[in-house]
Amino acid sequence: MMLALEMFRSVSRTMAGKAIGGRMPGVLSGFAAPLRLVTIDEPRVERPGWARLRTRLSGICGSDLGALSGRTSLYFSAVVSLPFVPGHEVVAELLDDCEDLPAGTRVVIDPVLACAARGVEPCEACASGATNRCARITVGQLSPGLQTGFCHDTGGGWGQQLAAHRSQLHPVPDGFSDEQAILIEPVACAVHTALRAGVRGGDRVLVSGAGSVGLFATLALRELTEAGEIIVVAKHPHQRELARELGATEVVAPGEVLRRVRRSTGAFQLEPEFSTPYLLGGVDVAVDAVGSRQSLETALQATRAGGRVVLSGMPAGADLSAAWFRELEVVGTYASARSDDAFGRATELVATDAVQQLAKSVASYPLHRWREALDHAHSAGRLGTVKVAFSPGSAS
Amino acid sequence: MSRPGFVLEVDDRTPPLVVHEGLGFRLESFPLGTRVVYPPESIPTVPDVEEAIREALLHPHDSEPLPALLRPGMRLTIAFDDLSLPLPTMRAPDIRGRIIEQVLTLAAEAGVDDVHLIAANALHRRMTAAELKHIVGERVFRSFYPQGQLYNFDAEDRDDLAHLGTTDKGEDVEISKRAAESDLLVYVNVNLVAMDGGHKSVGIGLASYRSLRHHHNAKTMVESRSFMDHKHSAMHHSAWRMGRLVKEHVKVFQIETTLNNDVFPRPFDFLQKREWEWSVKDQATMLGVRRGMSVAPLRMRHRMFHDLRSVYGLTGVNAGEVEAVHERTLQKVHQQHLVEVQGQSDVLVMGVPYLGPYNVNSSMNPILATCMGLGYYFNSYRGRPVVRKGGAVILYHPLNEGFNQLHHPSYVDFYEEVLAESTDPAVVGEKYEQQFAQDPWYIHLYRTSHAYHGVHPFYMWYWAAHAMDHVDEVIWVGADRRVAARLGFRAASTLADALEMASGTVGSSPSITYLHNPPHLLADVR
Amino acid sequence: MSFIRESVDDVRQVARGWRWGRRAQVPRSAEEWVLPARSTVFGTEWSRRRPAMAAREVAQKAGLEPLFRSQVRTRVEGLDVLSRVDGPVIFVANHASHLDTPLILLSLPDEWRRRTAVAAAADYFFDTWWRAVGSSLLFNTFPIDRRGGIMAATPGEVLAEGWSLVIYPEGTRSTDGWLGRFRMGAAFLAKEYGVPVVPVAHRGTFAAMPRGQGWPSTGRRQLTIRFGEPLVPGPEETVREFAPRIKDAVAALLDEDSSTWWEARRRAASGATPDPTGPKVAQWRRVWQQTQSPQADAPARRLTAWRR
Repeated sequence: MMLALEMFRSVSRTMAGKAIGGRMPGVLSGFAAPLRLVTIDEPRVERPGWARLRTRLSGICGSDLGALSGRTSLYFSAVVSLPFVPGHEVVAELLDDCEDLPAGTRVVIDPVLACAARGVEPCEACASGATNRCARITVGQLSPGLQTGFCHDTGGGWGQQLAAHRSQLHPVPDGFSDEQAILIEPVACAVHTALRAGVRGGDRVLVSGAGSVGLFATLALRELTEAGEIIVVAKHPHQRELARELGATEVVAPGEVLRRVRRSTGAFQLEPEFSTPYLLGGVDVAVDAVGSRQSLETALQATRAGGRVVLSGMPAGADLSAAWFRELEVVGTYASARSDDAFGRATELVATDAVQQLAKSVASYPLHRWREALDHAHSAGRLGTVKVAFSPGSAS
Repeated sequence: MSRPGFVLEVDDRTPPLVVHEGLGFRLESFPLGTRVVYPPESIPTVPDVEEAIREALLHPHDSEPLPALLRPGMRLTIAFDDLSLPLPTMRAPDIRGRIIEQVLTLAAEAGVDDVHLIAANALHRRMTAAELKHIVGERVFRSFYPQGQLYNFDAEDRDDLAHLGTTDKGEDVEISKRAAESDLLVYVNVNLVAMDGGHKSVGIGLASYRSLRHHHNAKTMVESRSFMDHKHSAMHHSAWRMGRLVKEHVKVFQIETTLNNDVFPRPFDFLQKREWEWSVKDQATMLGVRRGMSVAPLRMRHRMFHDLRSVYGLTGVNAGEVEAVHERTLQKVHQQHLVEVQGQSDVLVMGVPYLGPYNVNSSMNPILATCMGLGYYFNSYRGRPVVRKGGAVILYHPLNEGFNQLHHPSYVDFYEEVLAESTDPAVVGEKYEQQFAQDPWYIHLYRTSHAYHGVHPFYMWYWAAHAMDHVDEVIWVGADRRVAARLGFRAASTLADALEMASGTVGSSPSITYLHNPPHLLADVR
Repeated sequence: MSFIRESVDDVRQVARGWRWGRRAQVPRSAEEWVLPARSTVFGTEWSRRRPAMAAREVAQKAGLEPLFRSQVRTRVEGLDVLSRVDGPVIFVANHASHLDTPLILLSLPDEWRRRTAVAAAADYFFDTWWRAVGSSLLFNTFPIDRRGGIMAATPGEVLAEGWSLVIYPEGTRSTDGWLGRFRMGAAFLAKEYGVPVVPVAHRGTFAAMPRGQGWPSTGRRQLTIRFGEPLVPGPEETVREFAPRIKDAVAALLDEDSSTWWEARRRAASGATPDPTGPKVAQWRRVWQQTQSPQADAPARRLTAWRR
C-alpha cells in the first residue's frame, strides 16, 4: 500500500471550481479540488519493459492546475482514465531492473504513453519518431491516458510509487540534484516548442508569459535557434529578471506588449471598435506560453502577416480573425518528440548555470501538505517560484 | 493700476499660499523666511485693439507699410502660432484672428488672390477644425478652410518642404515650401513669454525635423541659459542664424502681440490675487472650489480646468522686420513678467499647473509635467537660475493623469521603454531619437491623426536638460511614487518631507524660493 | 467621512490663515505694495432703499428708542426751526460721544428722521462688513473719508437724492467734551448744493458716555439738545467765510443751552460768547467741567406727558 493524491470524478467540485475558481483561487486548493489523499495499492504493469519506480520528486504543472480547476477543455476527458494519480514531471529511482537499467537508477520520465509503452504496433507517428503525436493513446494494454499522470494504470508522480515503461525512461546524469532533474521534462517540452517555432536567423520572437513554460521556451529559443530579438511578457518583477537571465532581449509588462512590439518592429497599430488594438506588422514568431484568451490574442495580434503563432500553453478560446486575415501559421506544441532528442538536449540545457540557479528555487512539499502546495503553485509567479513539486518520499 | 512684481518673505503674518498641482491647487504654509516671487499685476492694455492693429500694420518698424507690400498676382502666405499659445486658450475672439482679418482686408483691397493660411505647428499635433476656427475666427475659417487654403503645417510632407541651404554653422534650414516660395510671408504671433517670437516663429514653427534637430537637442538646451532669454540661449542663437537665412529667401512681415497677465477668469480670479488680499468672497470661492474638486472625478476636474478661457488684454502689437519688432515685443513682455530677485537659493519650489503648451485639450502626462516644471518654469529666469548649482528643486504635481493615446502616442513608448533604460537626456537622445523620429507609425499619426511627432517627447526631455544638469535633487510633492521613480526623481507627500529628503543635498535649513506662477513671471536674478 | 474631515481642515486652515474675525494682516515684506484702502469700504446704496428704510424704522422705534430712553433723559429745544425750511438740510453738530447720533436722530420729528443720513468715518465704521451693515441699517450712516480719498458714495450724491445729512465737522469725538476744530466739509457742501445748515448743539453726552466707555453711565443722565436758526450761505460768501459762521452758531447755541436765549443773544451781539473750545486751563479741569450733566438737580422722575 502506498500514499498518493488521487484525482477522482466529482461533477459538483469540478463545476464549482470552474465557476468561481478564477476569482477565488483559494477554493481550488480547498473544497473544490477533485483531489484526495488516499492509501491505495501500488500501480503495477506486468508487461515486459515495465518497471516500478519510487518517486523522488514530482512537479506541479500548469496543466495539472487546469485540470483541478476544471478549466481544461472537456476535449481531454476522452483521453484520461479516472481516477488517476496526477504528476507527469517525475524524477524517480527504479525499484526493479529494467532492461539495461539496473534497479536504483535515477531517471526522469517522458510521460507520453505511446505505442511502445502500450505494447501495440507503432502507429505512423510513432514510427517516424513523433511519439507525442501517437494515435494509439487510448488502446493497447493500458487504460486510456495521454500521459503518465493521466492514466489509471501507471500511477503518477503525486504518489509514492508508479510504473513506467523503458521507452519513457531517461537516466539522470550524476551530479544533477533532484530539483535540477525535475526541470528536465518541462525543458524538453520547451525544446520541442523551440523546434516547432520554425525560427529563422534574426527573427523577432515574442514569448507571451514568463511562468515556467515561458521561461524555458525563452531559454530554448535562445540556445537552440537563431532568434534575434526575444521579447518576453512578464507580470512579476522576479519573472523579469529570470527572463533576462534566460536570454530575453526585452521584458515588457502585459499592458505594454503591443506598443513595445510596434515600436521595435515599426509596425502600424489599428484600433478596432469595441475591441483590443492589433498590429499590421509585428514579430515573426509569437509563442503563447500561458494559454489564456488574453495571452493568445496578444500573440495573434502582435504577429506579422504570414508569421507563426506557437501554442505552448493549453489554449482557451480566442478570436482567430487575425489568423485568417494575416494568414498566420498557428501551430501547437505538445510534450516532446523522441525524434527531437528533446530529453538529451534538455539535459544539456538544465546543466547551464542559469537553470541551476533556477533549480534552487524549486519548492517541494510532502504529499499531506498538498493544499499548501497547490496554493503555492497557483501564485508561483507572484511569489517568485518557478516550480512547485511534491516529494512523496519525505515526511515533512 | 498695476503693481510691479515683488519678492515676498514669508513671515508670521503670511497666510497659506496657493500652489498649483495639476488639476487642482493646495494651500501651503511655507517655512518662515521663504522667498516668494510674485509676478507683476496686469499692465495697462491698449485702449482700442482694432485701432492698435491698424496702426501697427500701417506704421511698421523697419519695413514698408503692409499695403505697400501687397499687389495683385502675388503669393501671400499668412502663418500663425498654433494652440500652444496662449495658455490658457484666449476667450474668443482670439487676437490672431483679429489681426489676420485686418491683414486679409488689406489684401483684398490690394487684389491679392493667392493666399494660404498655415498654422505654424512644426512637430506639434495637427489642430482640429474647431481649434483652427477658434484661432482664426469664423469669418476667416469659412473663407479659407473648405478650400484647403487654411491648414496645419505638415513637417513630414516631403513635397511641401524647401531646403534653403545651411547656416554658417552647418545647420540645415528646411521650412514649408509654400512659405519659402511666397512673395510675402506674414507671421502672426502671440508672444506670451519671452522665449516666443522673433526668428523662432518662422525658423522653428514652419521647420521640419531636419532643421529642428540642430537646436532641439540635449547639448543645445543645456547651453541655453535660459531659453527665456534669447540673447543667452544657444537654441535661439541657432534659430536666429536660421531666421537670417530665411530672410534672404523670403520677405517676412512679422506681427507680434503681447498679452497681460489676466490668466484666470472669474470666479477663479482669486488664483491671481495675492493671498493676503483675498476678500471673504475669494476665500469662500476658494473653499468651494477646493471642496468641489475633492469629490469631483478626475475627468470632471479636467473638464472644469480645460474649459477655462482667459480674458487676456492686449498690451501691445508690433509689426515689421523680425528683429526690430521682437525687441519692442520683449520690452512689453519683460514689463509684464520681470521680477527682480536678489541672489540664488538652495531650494526652488514650483507648482506645476494643469496646463502646458502641449496638453491643450489633452492630459498632462508625466513627461509634460516634467517639461513644464524643469523646463518652462525652471528656465523662467534671466541671468542666473533661481536655484544655485547643486541645489534642489521641489515640484508639485500628482503625475497621475496618464497618457492621451490620441495626442501623445510616442510619449507612452518613451515613458515605458526609453525612460526605463535611462533618464539622461543626452543618453536617450543619442540612442533613441532617430528611431522615434523616423518611426513610420508616428509619422503616420502625426500627419493624419492629431498626434505629436514621434520625436516630440525627446524635446520635452531636452527642455528639462538644463535643470537636470544644474540641480542635484528633484522631488515631487504629492506625486505617484512609481511614476516619479520612472522619471528618475523622488516623491514626497508633503513639503516638510520633501525638505527633509533634500536636506542631504542642501542641509537642514536651506534658503527656499517659491515661484508663484501662474500667472507667468520671469525672475531676473541678480 | 474623509470629505467632512478634509473640509473641516480646509476651513480651519483658511480661518487661521486669514484670521477670521480679526483684522487681516499683510506680510511685512508686502507692506510697501499695499493698495490704498479704497477697496475696504462697503457700499451703502442699499441702506437708503425702501426695504432697509422699513427695517430701520422697526429697529429705531422698537429697539433703539426704548433702549435709549431707558438709559438717558433728553430735553429737546428749537425744533420749530424745521418748519421754516423745506427739503434737505445739513445738521451740523458738536461731537462728544457715540450718544450724539441717536440723540439727534431720535430728537427729530419722524418725517425728518426717516430722511436723514449720518456721515460716518469710513475708516472706522466701514472697514468691516458687519460694522458697516449694522451702522447703516440702524443709523443710516454713509462713509466719508477723514483723510481724503475716493468714497463709494459721496455726501453730495446723498444730498442730491434728497436726504438730509448729519455732519460732525470736528471729524472725531472730542477727547474732553469741549468743541474741537471745525473742518470745512459741511460749509462746502452747503455752498455747493445750496442747502441750508441747521446748527445743532447738545450737552451732556460726554458726561453720560465719554470716549472709551461702551455704555451710558448709570442713573439716566440728562441730555439736552437745541436746534438753531438755519444758516444759508450768501451768494457772495465763500466757504472760508461761511464755515466760521456755522461754528459761531453752534457756539451760541451751546451758550444758550447753558444760560438763556436772551443772555446768549446779548453776549453774541457783543462778541462775548464763551469760547466753545473751553478755557485754557489744566486738562483735568476741562474734563471736570464737562463731566457735569446739565441740570444735575433734575428730578429722577417727571411727568413725561408734558415734556415737550
